[in-house]
Amino acid sequence: MPIISAELVHAGGRPAALELEQQLLSGQTLLSESTDHLIEVVDVLKSYGEVLDAYSINLIFQAEQQFLLPFPLFKYLDGDKNPAKIWRHLIHDRINFEYAEYCMKAMLWHGTGGLDAYLDSDAFAANCAAIIRRKTRIDPLLALLNPLFRGFLPELIRTAATTHALGQFWRVMSDLFIDLAEAEADGRVGSIDAVVEFIKDGLVAAAANPITYGVEVDGEHFWVLPPEAGLTFLVDVAVPYVEAVFLRGMPFLGTVSFNAQAQQISPDQAQFAYGALFADPLPSMGAGIPPSLLMQDMFRHLPERLHHWYRERTRGEGDVRVKICMSFQKSMFCVTNAAIRGTFPQPLNSSEPAAQAANRAYAAAWASRLATARTDCLD
Amino acid sequence: MLSLLLLIPLLGALVLALWPGNPSPGRMRTVALVVLGLQLIWSLLVLLRFDTGLSGMQLQESFVWVGSIGLDYRLGVDGLSMPLVLINCALTLVSAICTRDINQRPRIYFALLLVISGAVNGAFLAENLLLFFLFYELELIPLWFLISIWGGANRAYAATKFLIFTAVSGMLILGAFLGLALLTGSVDFSLTPVTSERLAMGGQLVLLGALLVGFGIKVPLFPFHNWLPDAHTQASTPVSVLLAGVLLKLGTYGLLRFCMGLFPEAWTLLAPGLAIWAAVSVLFGSLAAIAQQDMKRMVAYSSVGHMGYILLAAAAATPVALLGAVFQMVSHGLISALLFLLVGIVYRKTGTRDLSVLHGLLNPERGLPFTGTLMILGVMASAGMPGMAGFISEFMVFRGSITAFPLATLLSMVGSGLTAVYFLLLVNRAFFGRLAVTPATDAVADGRLDVRLAAVAPRETIPAMGLAFAVVAIGLLPSGLGKLSEVASTSMAQLPALVAAMQLAALHPWGVG
Repeated sequence: MPIISAELVHAGGRPAALELEQQLLSGQTLLSESTDHLIEVVDVLKSYGEVLDAYSINLIFQAEQQFLLPFPLFKYLDGDKNPAKIWRHLIHDRINFEYAEYCMKAMLWHGTGGLDAYLDSDAFAANCAAIIRRKTRIDPLLALLNPLFRGFLPELIRTAATTHALGQFWRVMSDLFIDLAEAEADGRVGSIDAVVEFIKDGLVAAAANPITYGVEVDGEHFWVLPPEAGLTFLVDVAVPYVEAVFLRGMPFLGTVSFNAQAQQISPDQAQFAYGALFADPLPSMGAGIPPSLLMQDMFRHLPERLHHWYRERTRGEGDVRVKICMSFQKSMFCVTNAAIRGTFPQPLNSSEPAAQAANRAYAAAWASRLATARTDCLD
Repeated sequence: MLSLLLLIPLLGALVLALWPGNPSPGRMRTVALVVLGLQLIWSLLVLLRFDTGLSGMQLQESFVWVGSIGLDYRLGVDGLSMPLVLINCALTLVSAICTRDINQRPRIYFALLLVISGAVNGAFLAENLLLFFLFYELELIPLWFLISIWGGANRAYAATKFLIFTAVSGMLILGAFLGLALLTGSVDFSLTPVTSERLAMGGQLVLLGALLVGFGIKVPLFPFHNWLPDAHTQASTPVSVLLAGVLLKLGTYGLLRFCMGLFPEAWTLLAPGLAIWAAVSVLFGSLAAIAQQDMKRMVAYSSVGHMGYILLAAAAATPVALLGAVFQMVSHGLISALLFLLVGIVYRKTGTRDLSVLHGLLNPERGLPFTGTLMILGVMASAGMPGMAGFISEFMVFRGSITAFPLATLLSMVGSGLTAVYFLLLVNRAFFGRLAVTPATDAVADGRLDVRLAAVAPRETIPAMGLAFAVVAIGLLPSGLGKLSEVASTSMAQLPALVAAMQLAALHPWGVG
């Protein structure tokens, strides 16, 4: 006999903004404590860490070695032109580096913070001018293009700068997530709260890391993001990354149109939010939906414990990429939770009314945005 | 040789009925599958013996059964009945394969299935009007049981409606056959065409009218279609497959074999009206299908429309149109069976067929992507997409009818266009968009529902894949079926001229001129 459709759907809770604000202020985690959640978050972050390692290496390679290359045919090979590697690339036995580029473009589109400000500064324009002057001397194609399209090469250099900055950011995050898995394996981390605390500590430790980027052109070194720009890891790259990739996201063909047709996306462009915390995991693996690329990559590096956990649920491996996406969303709430916890304007245990008010305002601003995110995965 | 096509399923039904003890549903199903497999193999052997170059009945078998009332056991096969016998054997096997969850009285279920298959073979092969009627009625009661015992919540209503309509159909057909004997004063129930010399045109028109309504109910044609959507909606998937794929063809076969074959002169006289009736049926079926919310009712109404093409072709009665009618019977049998199988899978997995509830079933990991793919193939075939069986059938029907009845043909072509409209509505609503299997409430809350449909096992789609393969194969290589039926359809088209010539010869026994 047919099954009643109500049994085929699961609706998670959707906490109100006030409830989220209280959780943030009281130091509670957004994601509820459970053994399943711990397995999902730690293991999916471990696979994400391994994928980010590859993404990071490739983004830094592209920014440094493929800089202003008119036809970067081998940009995904990390400089290794071994025929076996080219063959694996052609048969798609590889990491989807395209997803890393999508994230870089999201950072360019939704640019905020110090990096974005610097990319529009006079100092950056001067750096570009010097680089372009030298580059056009040795590259006739760019020498032809530059006077015709004045904004073209500076935009490519902005892209390269964002690529390198994202590569540096993911270097730190990759190591952090793999360390987290080791910490959970040896018992140092045993709860969702400990996961959030571990990530927060990692972010805080790297907060002041300088973000710099220089290139070699015709044997001469040029700074694109010089040390004197004073760009740092947390404020200038991590926070803009969270805004661009976790909150805003990209209007992926397919995914958004499905949700938009069902009136599940705000028609107001200013309210557009389809980042990692907002996106719908169900269309994963649909045609033309890039987050599927990340899920495919994470599936390649899935720890056996989580793989086994997935095999025992719903369709087993049949819908594993959707389940990875759901676990990934939970883990991203933990990372966001850690970032918020680490960036409160005042200590949370302060008894000063002014400090408490500042923290409340900060938590309320985050809670109002997160209230419309996919908080149904939190319980 | 042909008798075995009746004996295999009927003896199989007897074996199931007498099987000792209390066998499991699985064992009953296996026995039915073996019997139906044998029946299919035997039908293929008959096909091998069939000579496509001959126009009349072949492989005939006969003996006088009850001579005093003109009931002869006389079987034969020609290019019209051969494809229908094959499709009956294949689709009964498919419906037995896709019967999986019959735990209630499986012995009776499978026995009835076999009786229906044997009876339908008998009806297609009968060369005697009374013998045809016996088999025509024989499939009625088992089908009534299949709907009323193993049907949906309103099965009693649907089964009774089906019984009343088809019983009236049977009475009209029997009345026409007996009326023929009464009016001609003979008990000759053979398939000999009735000339106006033997029976006046008035009498022919009355008898033909009764047969038209009788078979029109079975086809069904507007306005006698009312029983079909209810029967389909309440019938289980295997019964719907059989009903749409095979049993409706008894009606169209009757139109060609008995209405047109027995009364060619009266048929020619009524043909313009029949063509308009066909166009109205096509347009009504298509427009009604557009208005449906239940996937099964939509497919059922599409059958009403698509059966109209066969009446149009029969009215035109050109060789190409009649060949198109045979193609349409086969392709509609395969395509509608495919669509009902797929709707059945959707219903089994989601618990609903409501197009206002279902969305996004093509979702690659959580939906029913392969079922959706086959559904798109099926609806494209039904809408007459080139490369599939529906195209070649509709093209031949329209090509063969346009010169005879341009207006009715053009209106039917509009109906063909409407097929694309309602089936694209079906595909767009149920298969595209964000996955959903519950009624829409709040858009944001709905967008957060995690849908957990069970996956479709590969074995569940094997019958549908087989049908899809056949639909594409006939679309790409239509000549096989064409060769099988071309001689028969051409000779049927020549029947009115032949009868006229016979009359002329009777009037002028020493020749003309």
